[in-house]
Amino acid sequence: MRRQLSWIGSAVFVLVLLSPKYALAQWVSWYQFGTEGSYVHETAHLLFGLSMVFFIYEIFHANLQKFRGFRLLAWAWAILVFWNLDAFIGHWADWTLDNPVILGLGWGRRLLMYNFQTWLVYITKIDHFILLVPAFLLFYLGLKALVGKPGAE
Amino acid sequence: MITLPLAPLWILEYLCSTIVLILNVLSLRLSRRLVDRDPENALWLFLNWLAIAFLIFSVTHMIDHALMDLIAYWNLPNLALLQRIFGGFDSVVYVTIAAITLFFHRIQRLYRRMEADHHHLEETSHEILALNREMEALVMERTMSEMALGMAHGIRNPLHVIGGFSHRLLRKTDEDDPSRAWASAIAEEARRIEQMVERFESLAQRKTSFFAQEDLNVIVRSTLDLLLPELRAKSIALVADICPTPLVGRYNKHLLKVALAHLIRNAVEATRPGGTVLVRTAEEHKFALLVIQDTGRGMPQDVVEKVFVPFYTTKIGGTGLGMVFVRQIVDEHRGIITLASKVGRGTTVTIRLPHRFTDRPEVGEESPPSTPPETPVTPETSKPGKNGD
Repeated sequence: MRRQLSWIGSAVFVLVLLSPKYALAQWVSWYQFGTEGSYVHETAHLLFGLSMVFFIYEIFHANLQKFRGFRLLAWAWAILVFWNLDAFIGHWADWTLDNPVILGLGWGRRLLMYNFQTWLVYITKIDHFILLVPAFLLFYLGLKALVGKPGAE
Repeated sequence: MITLPLAPLWILEYLCSTIVLILNVLSLRLSRRLVDRDPENALWLFLNWLAIAFLIFSVTHMIDHALMDLIAYWNLPNLALLQRIFGGFDSVVYVTIAAITLFFHRIQRLYRRMEADHHHLEETSHEILALNREMEALVMERTMSEMALGMAHGIRNPLHVIGGFSHRLLRKTDEDDPSRAWASAIAEEARRIEQMVERFESLAQRKTSFFAQEDLNVIVRSTLDLLLPELRAKSIALVADICPTPLVGRYNKHLLKVALAHLIRNAVEATRPGGTVLVRTAEEHKFALLVIQDTGRGMPQDVVEKVFVPFYTTKIGGTGLGMVFVRQIVDEHRGIITLASKVGRGTTVTIRLPHRFTDRPEVGEESPPSTPPETPVTPETSKPGKNGD
């Protein structure tokens, strides 16, 4: 089962990597989907999220969730998993958005919400930063709990 | 058509990024304190590394997104190169965080296995220690009783002679003969010594306190019940061919269970999932037969020859004392243990335990017959277990 999953995962990765003909070694516009950098960044987000899942598993497997500090850390990692998925979708929506219509000048600039993708870009841009605050706050509080009373339940 | 302001997005972006940066600086300080408290704790080290990576992430992430916004919404394409550098660095930081976490995940797994091995080793060493103590007590008791019996045998014959002659002397001596009192005293003292010898012999009987009338089948069944979950966990079939008639003998139930459990565990370790472990008991002339057979990887001849050598082991973390104890336990029962193995075919351990263990002269429950003083006392070298391999 594990081996099959790793084969499928590898196949999908190779397929995604090789499918766009112009994608390889193109660093001209990083913030456009299809460049090598965009793939690397998206894959890095997935890896980041996956590693957090592993760590949550580790906390529960080692039965550390009975400690308050580790419970908070597990919540922090869970939010980071969600953040990475949100970032993955947000980056894709942002980098594939064709001709975003921006009205106004300076700080008064406005984005024309002309289709679903524009909404997706706007919402995920909010999530992208909002989610990080509770995640790192929980990380901080978790560490604080571990420093205070490592064995406190 | 709806338009939404971008300024709140940017303000939110920089505000959140600044909060995240501050939180990460504080988190790094806390993780440092954890490491300072216990520098050898893998978990604290990991959290410290993660806090460092998170701090770098919060910086690069803020700069990268700020640059991205400036390029996309403020028409500053000249910043593209800088954004590429920070964007690339941002990706590297994500991968680093993932690498640290996944590496830790692996390390934790190894650490847990090491801890389990350590625990297992500690348990085994405690078991061996307890077993060793019991064996020592048993050997001491046996030595004591053998000495007592040897002395009793040695004293009894000259005592019979002294007692016999003193009684004959008494019978042949006149009532008024002054030496009659001396002969009477000799006869009386000889009788007292004889009583002492009898008490000495009864001391020797105590050896049997380590052994009791037990049914080998019952011992085997209870051990198998104990080990069945281990066999099931490894998907190994257990075939128990138990003798229909009771195999009663004077056994030490606890020691035999330890020996049997060790042999079955060895068989389980050597057998692949789907294999079979056979445990058979039978009656064979004057012996109770116990066979443990597995379909495991077997052992080459040179290993078989060293199986009973103390501290010889082929297992990682093994003590090399398990089989030595098994043999000693069988020896203490005056039994014989043999081992046959073929590489790729499996191993068969055969134990023969005598039913009439207590009938042996040195441990007989009844008073031993008088022997002439020059007759050597029960020889230790006659232990069948010593010829067992």
